[in-house]
Amino acid sequence: MDADLLQTAKAAADATETLKKRMRDNLIAIGQTQDQSAFQDFYDHFSGRIKSFLIGKGMAEAIAEELAQEIMLIVWRKAGSYNPEKAAASTWLFTIARNRRIDYLRGNSRVEVELDDEMLEVDSTEPTQEDRVDLSQQSVILEKAMSRLPQEQRQVLHLSYFRGQSHGAIAEWLNLPIGTVKSRIRLAMQSMRSEVYSKDFET
Amino acid sequence: MMPSHHLTDETLQEYASGALNVSMETLIACHLTICSSCRQKANLADAIGGVSLSDQDAVAMKGCASDVLAMDKSTPVQTQAFAHTDGLEAGIPRPLARALPGPIMELPWKSFGPGMKQYNLGSQPRKEGAFKLLSLDPGLRMSKHSHGHRELTFIVSGSYSDDMGHFNAGDIADLSEDHHHSPLVDSDVPCICLIATDAPVKFDGLFGKIIQPFVGI
Repeated sequence: MDADLLQTAKAAADATETLKKRMRDNLIAIGQTQDQSAFQDFYDHFSGRIKSFLIGKGMAEAIAEELAQEIMLIVWRKAGSYNPEKAAASTWLFTIARNRRIDYLRGNSRVEVELDDEMLEVDSTEPTQEDRVDLSQQSVILEKAMSRLPQEQRQVLHLSYFRGQSHGAIAEWLNLPIGTVKSRIRLAMQSMRSEVYSKDFET
Repeated sequence: MMPSHHLTDETLQEYASGALNVSMETLIACHLTICSSCRQKANLADAIGGVSLSDQDAVAMKGCASDVLAMDKSTPVQTQAFAHTDGLEAGIPRPLARALPGPIMELPWKSFGPGMKQYNLGSQPRKEGAFKLLSLDPGLRMSKHSHGHRELTFIVSGSYSDDMGHFNAGDIADLSEDHHHSPLVDSDVPCICLIATDAPVKFDGLFGKIIQPFVGI
């Protein structure tokens, strides 16, 4: 890669990181001071993507629009519970949108771990990834790692996360054995995880 | 308690994507409760979902941010029904405890063979897969069987062994469709497991085929 290209790539990465940090700071500002301009900025960046995400699952445009607005209302009201040490802004938003989509389609909520469960096992000997890496930076690393995945792995991840298709449905859609779909997902998850961890050890 | 059998990467990813049914979710959330390493992988799978969301092209919105702020003023805040914890059985991860109508030993268990009892938690049609508790007596060996698509087993208490190893309370067996196994209960108390499948179990032998319609797993 020549120097110019390298420069451009670095500038793009810096811009992504700046954007991610800005979205994180927006959430914090909404949560702490009901900052309307921070909400405006967050909304402008994400609302159309949320709508696209809902349409990806096969929702009609009008319903996707309505749900996207509702999800943004949840963002406005719940930003106070956003913890930047636990999740990047995009992760937090993804879980809200996914859960709202599940509620809407299924009529009951996603079953999740309850963090105040007496049975919750916390391994104190091992530092969590959250302790080791800035999460906005982690999501930059993940984004880069995703863009480097072989196309066939990116495709199954897209169908799964964005279209919300089960692995079985993806196999049917692509006319592949289910084992092939699963192994592509597995390889993608493993290589993205190893990128995150190798960066951790460098710092 | 440190589990030694875990969820696969692809199951954690599918859980993050939101494509699984309530029974699979319940079982996965039970294991995540007591397994911090799978919980960490699950968080990363959510983060990848976030990246995937950011990666998309936006679709034009008809509404705008000020509409949302107006909605905030006009829509009452729904006070979330406080998730009660009274009467939940201790020693059982909450995702399962919430699905139980009463203490686990007092459930209306139904026998489906010598030393084998089951309690059905699911109400979905059989073709959608099973969601049930099994109680297997010490020393019991289950007939060799495989599963249509996938079976998740979470060990609630007791233990068993099969060709994949030894499974204790908190462990999860995350089996693919083509795996055939014949588990042996090796604890001195009954082994209670929570099972979720996305297709009915297929038994291999003649005995298995005869009991198949009655077991319904």
